[in-house]
This record gives sequence, C-alpha cells and structure tokens, in this order.
Amino acid sequence: MLEIEGLALRYPDFTASYDLAVPEGALCAVIGPSGGGKTTLLHAIAGFERPGAGRLRFAGQDLLPLPPAARPVSILFQDHNLFPHLSAAENVALGLKPSLRLDESEHERVAAALAEVNLTDFAARKPAELSGGQRQRVAIARALLRGKPLMLLDEPFGALDPGLRREMIDRVDALRRAHGLTVLMTLHTPEEAAAKANLFAYVADGRVQAVGPWEKLTAKDGPEPVRRFLGL
Amino acid sequence: MLQPATLTALAILALACGSLLGLARAGSDFATLSSLGPYLARLIVSAGLQAALSALLSLLLGIALALALLRRRFPGRELLLALLTTAAVAPTIVIAFGIVAIYGRSGLLGGLARGLGFEPPSIYGLHGIVIAHVVMNMPLVARALLHAFEREPGERLRLASALGFSAADCFRHLDWPLIRREAPALGVLVFLLCFTSFAIVLSLGGGPANATLEVAIFEAVRFEADFARAAALAGLQLTICLGLAALLTALTPRGRDEAGAERHAPRPDLGALRGLDGFVLALATILIAPPLLSVASGLGALPLLASTEFARAAATSAVIAVSAGLLACLLALLLASAARRSRRRSRLPELAAFALLGLPPFAFVAGLYVLLRGFGDPASLGLFLVPLVNALMALPYAYRLLAPALATSALRHGRLAESLGISGWNRLRLVEWPALRGAFGAAFAFATALSLGDFGVIALFGGGELTTLPYLLANRLGAYRIDEAGALALVLVVSAGGLAFLTQRWSARHA
Repeated sequence: MLEIEGLALRYPDFTASYDLAVPEGALCAVIGPSGGGKTTLLHAIAGFERPGAGRLRFAGQDLLPLPPAARPVSILFQDHNLFPHLSAAENVALGLKPSLRLDESEHERVAAALAEVNLTDFAARKPAELSGGQRQRVAIARALLRGKPLMLLDEPFGALDPGLRREMIDRVDALRRAHGLTVLMTLHTPEEAAAKANLFAYVADGRVQAVGPWEKLTAKDGPEPVRRFLGL
Repeated sequence: MLQPATLTALAILALACGSLLGLARAGSDFATLSSLGPYLARLIVSAGLQAALSALLSLLLGIALALALLRRRFPGRELLLALLTTAAVAPTIVIAFGIVAIYGRSGLLGGLARGLGFEPPSIYGLHGIVIAHVVMNMPLVARALLHAFEREPGERLRLASALGFSAADCFRHLDWPLIRREAPALGVLVFLLCFTSFAIVLSLGGGPANATLEVAIFEAVRFEADFARAAALAGLQLTICLGLAALLTALTPRGRDEAGAERHAPRPDLGALRGLDGFVLALATILIAPPLLSVASGLGALPLLASTEFARAAATSAVIAVSAGLLACLLALLLASAARRSRRRSRLPELAAFALLGLPPFAFVAGLYVLLRGFGDPASLGLFLVPLVNALMALPYAYRLLAPALATSALRHGRLAESLGISGWNRLRLVEWPALRGAFGAAFAFATALSLGDFGVIALFGGGELTTLPYLLANRLGAYRIDEAGALALVLVVSAGGLAFLTQRWSARHA
C-alpha cells in the first residue's frame, strides 16, 4: 500500500497537503486542473520535493528519509526523460549503472528490457532519431530494468497523438500486471484511462479532493468539483 | 519597390565596400606590399598565439567558474555575478588601467613586492595582454555557460537524482554534453575578440612584438599615413575575421531543449567537489575583483577632473555615445523590419548586420575618411564619423537583441495587424513597441555603453578639439598620471554601470 498522510509542502506561491492511499499493484490516475498540484504530489513521492510534515510509506517502508535514488520509485516525465547524447540502449543502461561500464549479463538485461517494449532494432539510435512514443518506451524500458515496484508517470504521453496515447496506456497497464507494479499516472485526458485505472484521485488546490473508481466519480451523485472539471 | 530593410542593408554594405575601396585607392604603391610578407607573417603568428592563449585560459577558467557557480549557493554569489557582468562590459581601456593599477611596477602588487625587497616584473608584454584578456573574457564565458546550464530542463536533474548519479556521472551526462555543445563557439568568439583586440594591446603590448593587425592598421594610418599598407592589413584581417565568423556561425548551437517555467531542481552532486569549487571561486575573485575595484582609487583624485578639458571630453563622450546608441537601434530596427514581410529569415539584412563584425574599425573609418576628407577638417569629420562607426560596430549586438523580439511580434500579431490594416508607424507604435521596448532599452544601453567606453576609432581622430573620456584616460595612462587616470576610469565605470542598472530596471518593467 502507498500511504500518504498529511504530506505538506509550502512554497511562496503555493501550499499543498496530501492524503491518499493506493493499494499495491493498482493503477491510480491522478487528475485535476493545471496548477492544482498533481506534479508536486508525484515529485514529493519521488523525493524531489521535501515535505515539511506528514507521512509517506510504501509497503510499510518510510520513504521520507530516503534520497530519490534509494526510494523504490521510477519516474517518467512528459519530456526530457532521455539524455540526448546517449543511444537508446545507453539511456536504458543508465538505470543499471550511471557509469555505463556494464558486464555481459548487464548488456543482456538491457537488450531484454528494450525487447520488452519492442525496441530491439532501435537500440543504437539517439533520442533525436526516435519518435515521441519510442522515446517514452525507452524510458519505460529503463524503469522496468531498475525493478522499482512503484512507477510514477507525470503526464508521460501528453505530447502523443490520441491513438498512440491509448496504446501507451495499454502498454503500461500490461507491464503493471506482468511485473506487479503500482502505478500513479497524472493525466489531462482522464477518459482515456477510464477502462484501465483502478482508482482516480482528483487533485486541486494542493489537495486530494476525491478518490474512487471512475464510475463513482462520474456518477450523477459524484463529487461536484470532479463533475465540473470533467464537464459532466 | 525596395523595402526599408533592404534599403538599409544595401546602404550599410555600400558604406563598407566604399570604405575599403577608398582605402585601396588611396594606397599609392602596392608594389611595396610584397616586401611586407615576413612582417605580416610575424604579425599573424604573434596575434594568433596571443589570442589562442587568451582564449584557452578564458575558456578553461570560465568553464570551471560556471560549474562552481552552478553548484554553489553562498553569500556574495550575486555580488560575484555582478562583478562578472561588469568585467564583461567594462570599457577595455578601464580594464587596462586596472591591470596597470594592480600588476604594474607602481601598482598594488608592484609596491608590495618592492616592500618585500625585490623588483617586480614588468606587466607590459604578452603576459600583460593575456591577463587583461582573461579578466575580460573569462566572465563572458562563465556567464554564457551558466545561462546555458540554467536553461537545461529540470527533468534531467531530477532524473539524475532518481538514478543516483555521482559527481562524475553528473559531469559526464549533464555537464560535458552541454560544454561540448557551447564551448567551441565561445572559444572562437573569444579568439576573435582577442585577435582583433586594440586598446589592451596598445596599452599593455609593450611594443611591436605583440601587435595585432588592428594596432598595425592604426599605426599605418595615424603615424605613417600609409593607406596602402592599411588596406593590405585590413584585407588580411577581413579575410581572417570572416573565416572565423563563418566558423562561429557553423559552431553556434541551433535550437535546444529548454526549461519551462518551473521550480529550480537541485543538482545531485551538491555534496561533492566543495574544495575544488571553493578554489575556483576564490581564484576567479582574486583575478577579476582587484583590477575592477582599483577604479575606486580614483575617488580621491576626482577633484583633479575639475577642468575645462574634462568637461569638454565628458560632453563630447555623451553626445557621441547617445547618438551612436540611437543610430544603432534605428538601423537594427530598420534591418529587423524585414520580419514584417516574410516569416522566413532574411539573408540580406542579417548579412548587413553581421558583416561589420569582421571589418576592422580602423580600416573602415580610415576608408571613409579618405573618401570624405575633402569635405572638412579631421575634427569635424571625426565628430560625424566616430558615432557613425561606433553605431555600426554596435549594430550586430543591437540587431541580435531587437530582431528576435520583432520577429516574434510578427509571428504572433503580424497577420492580425495586416488584416486590420495597421501598418507603418502605427504598427510600430500600437503592435510592436509594447513587445519591443524591453529589448530596445537593452540594445540602446548596450550600444551607448559600447560607444562611451570606445577607445578605438577615437584614437584616430582624437586630440585637440575632439577628446573623449576614454581618449583622455589613455592619454593620462601613457603619461603615468595614474591618479587622474583612476578618476577617469571611475567616471567611465560609474557611467557604464549606471546605464546597465537603468536598463535592467527598464527591461524588468517592460518585460
């Protein structure tokens, strides 16, 4: 279980305080208006932001004292997930060793991770030679290789076409099931994840204002802010 | 009908070509040029060596300083950044004064050495030139790289934190790719600036052994009236500079990923390399601060400036600088107005804006003087030619500031303005000026400051009736009247600093 209780962050222009519980192995879609605090929530879980108060636990482990690299977390951003001077395979290999000095078995693991996202033939290409969807698949391959059980996706497919976006969500869902991952994914178009996500968390004004399955949140007696946000 | 941008570009290019032709025609005996072979070779080798050394040291120290400033937050960091900006924009003659005031035999370190019982070495020569060039150009490199580093996407830093990058990994995957992308163009730019250096080489060169082509052209025109030699040297310099400018264009990075408006992402290597960063920051401060702060020594000598000569020089400087600033902005706006017509980059206005980067100012102004000398005495012609040439020398920078703002305005509101029938002056006033005024303020202040501190073209015409503050400073420095030179340097630095301060406020208000 990912447990977030009273996780508070304070900035000159923004204050946030989060409470959320996500069962292990679930896909939780984080939705809400721009500037509402979705990214801040993911960054706090990943360790990029330092909360002033609250609790953050995953599978019983307290994450707050841990630096980003030591947390059981992988994160994908909308852009800039890859280093432009490295090939796809090297970008994946960073997940194993940032020095890139790999032995034979580690090379094989990199190749296997690329194969899992159907990019074997693109291993030697630089990010500039890949499409947007392929770049995100390379980043997913690296996340898989790191073997972290909690995957955070910060609007990772926002720049892709609608068809490709759905395909990527399907792919993430399949990988989640295959590897038993817990996934938190922020989205601008929540309808696309309606069929896959077990849970939706509506975040606005720095708070999780509603949590539940899609049917519950979009029902006629569902929470008013969510219905207004979705234009229902 | 020709557009204003095309007309302006053609006029500037005609002026440049006319000046070179005038210079070439004035040369009476080109046959003697064949004897210049060994002299030219020596000149190019010595200027090239000096520029290469200056560029290499500026680049290495600038990179180390940018990385240290990127990694460290400490009290006084903003002050050091302000010092870097001041060093990069301070008039070259002021830097020359600062170097003499600190490293000269009668300077701070010289006095200290004498007090300890040994004779200090002379600052005049290759080492003096290189130190001055490093003081001027290391800040330029550091600021440019720091700006590039800070524009890198925050996601990469967060990714580096998440992947557990060490300090070495950070350098290899975050810093080195950026340095490799930005440093070659910066290196060529610094080499170009040092290769064409004039005031520093003239003040600290210590003789012909370390002359640059620019100094040789000055000597040929001013002391020997040898226009044939000046034309040959100018042609040579033009060829080399155009080659370097082409290299610079080829090496300048095109578009790159840039950070959006987001919170600052901390670097994962903040805990490491504290000792190295501390050493680099201390070294840079020791190298840059004393020459710049030495102008404060002029405070006590300010009463020495209460003279008609100073008042006349200050007034002339102000008139020339403001005229040059306004003219540079006007020409840049006219050239940039090409963006109104076409959304593609216009080659001719760009060529006109940047061609003058490669043209030696002395050759340019000497050619114009030769063409116009029948129309007036040198002092009257100088009063007209100095602001004109200063404006044209500042044009590339003014254009670089104004053209993108005008192009963005054309892209965003051009079609709307056309559909509403807003054109000409009304378009400038209603549509473009609100987007332009921040950049205009910066361009005007930069061009004015450049002209205010110019000790280039004025060296040809200066003296008697026509005296500016930098000319007076060089004169006092040459006569070892260090107190008076300090007071003049202080006035120049305060004027340039005041302009920079006002520009910053103007740009912030109109951003």
